Amino acid sequence: LACGECNGLPLKGAVPDTLDRSAYTCLQVHEVIAADKSPKTLYVKRQCMHCVHPACVSACTVGALRKTPEGPVVYDADKCIGCRYCQYACPFEVPTYDWKDPFGLIHKCQLCVSRLSEGQGPACVEACPNGALRFGRRDALLAQAHGQIVSNAGRYVDHVYGENEAGGTSMLYLSPVPFDQLGFPVLGDEPIPHYAETIMKGTPIIAVTVASAITGIHWFLKRREQKLSTAPVRNSDAGAEE
Amino acid sequence: MTTTTRDRGQNIIEGFDKGSIVIGVLSLLLLVGIFAAVGRLYVGLGESTALSDRYPWGIWIGFDFLLIAFSGVGFTMAGLVHVFRQEKYHDVVRPAVLAGLMGYSAVLAILLLDLGRFDRFYHFLIFWNPHSPLFEICWCVLLYTTVLMIEVSPSIFERLKWERPIRWVVRAMLPVAIVGVTLSSLHQSTLGTLYLNMPHRLNALWYTPVLPLLFFTSSVMAGLALAIIVYAIAARISDQEPKSDILSGLGKIMGWVTLLYLVLKLGDILVAGELSALFAFDRMSTLMWIELGVCALLPAALLLIPGVRERKSSIYGGAILILLGVLANRFNATLFGQSLPSAGGTYSPSIIEWLTTLGIIAGAIVAWYFGVRLLTMFDESHAR
Repeated sequence: LACGECNGLPLKGAVPDTLDRSAYTCLQVHEVIAADKSPKTLYVKRQCMHCVHPACVSACTVGALRKTPEGPVVYDADKCIGCRYCQYACPFEVPTYDWKDPFGLIHKCQLCVSRLSEGQGPACVEACPNGALRFGRRDALLAQAHGQIVSNAGRYVDHVYGENEAGGTSMLYLSPVPFDQLGFPVLGDEPIPHYAETIMKGTPIIAVTVASAITGIHWFLKRREQKLSTAPVRNSDAGAEE
Repeated sequence: MTTTTRDRGQNIIEGFDKGSIVIGVLSLLLLVGIFAAVGRLYVGLGESTALSDRYPWGIWIGFDFLLIAFSGVGFTMAGLVHVFRQEKYHDVVRPAVLAGLMGYSAVLAILLLDLGRFDRFYHFLIFWNPHSPLFEICWCVLLYTTVLMIEVSPSIFERLKWERPIRWVVRAMLPVAIVGVTLSSLHQSTLGTLYLNMPHRLNALWYTPVLPLLFFTSSVMAGLALAIIVYAIAARISDQEPKSDILSGLGKIMGWVTLLYLVLKLGDILVAGELSALFAFDRMSTLMWIELGVCALLPAALLLIPGVRERKSSIYGGAILILLGVLANRFNATLFGQSLPSAGGTYSPSIIEWLTTLGIIAGAIVAWYFGVRLLTMFDESHAR
């Protein structure tokens, strides 16, 4: 709820369990069987993962989404045209669209960039009373997470979600059960925009190659026709435009 | 010239039965579509469509990508005749290029409805993101629509009897066609690249790094197929018999391109080791078989087996099957072949989505029809 206040979102009665236009973060409840066979209720806070190589940023038609050097993936509402390609590119289904507004826009967690620039932590982290959420440099948090797995043997599965997923995310999770049981997508280590960016970078080369290749073919065919027409074997068709 | 005009007038009156009924129905659809579109712009996407955060794209995007593939008819024919100098197909160029222009106009209209902030449609001109496939597609579609206008313009100038502009445009035709083919090979393939940002959503049978190549090849297939249909109809409208050497020639090229597509697609499935998924005969594999069987295998057989391909019905049938197959392919990629990382939610298009889509496509057909009627489609040799 601190999140809603900080981002000026319309408040709802209960804590939402899915992301939408008015919820930049949500809390999901999962009933799971832990490693020691005991049933457990786990609460999972979901929000934008602030990927290291964000697919939404790569996909955005007008560059309204941007990865800041500090880590947060931020959104510029003034540029957005509402094409919703980012919703397809994001493997975590994070960006949401304001369907009710005739001039709808995208909404997502900005990791409280305005608070960060004032030296404060994100609203959710500062509101959390018992340290379930922590904020810091990614490498320091990663080291801390791995240390925590080792020093509490058996309490967590040996997997920091977000370390390598889709090239790594700035949100890191620890869990006592495998992450797919908590609704996290199983992703490879390759950043999502890997192929598309490689191809898009080749665009100028493709353009020049195609243009010169077809010009060359045209020139070749024309020369061959001219040679053929000097030898009066075949008559070229009438009605040519030249 | 006066006699030709009167002949035209008579043709319009004589053809008042079948053709006019079709055009009347299409015009009605267009009218309804315009009302639906105004309604959509007024109330916003949430109320007018069945789209949601789970399914942010629907039939609008599906038909957009389909129409772009079909509108490949313009660059395919302009390229074949002007760049590859296949003068034999000269008669096809004008109806084809006009169809291309109408197709792209329809795409732009549908896209405008789909944009959440349609009032900012021009933003891609100001704010650049060269990594984005959609950014490149926007630019290419804009530039290529301009190319199509130039390619259509001689028939308009002829109608208006503007001699000097005709000479200019005709002289510029080759460079314009080269630019057109280049822009088309870029954005037709980039439509495939667009899906490469969705490995988590698009089923593995469709997802492959060679999607751009497959999309380009299938746009040439669809372009040739629509060229055959469009040429045959334009000839009938102009009271001519479609020339059979043109039809069989196009049919043969189309057959070979289709075979190439099949080799690429099946080769890719083989290399990716997805044969078992192709023969699983579950939902996805069935969709793929409909697409490949209808889109490629059957028409390739119709168009390449000697003895079968000589028949006119094979050529028309092959062309229609290929168009249906490309339709299946684009809709599989956009809708049916996609699954969400987490379960839940469905999408079935709203009535407004259907009415606007059908209306805009009907409008494009009506505009093409009147273009063929009013402009000289089969130029110089016939007109003078």
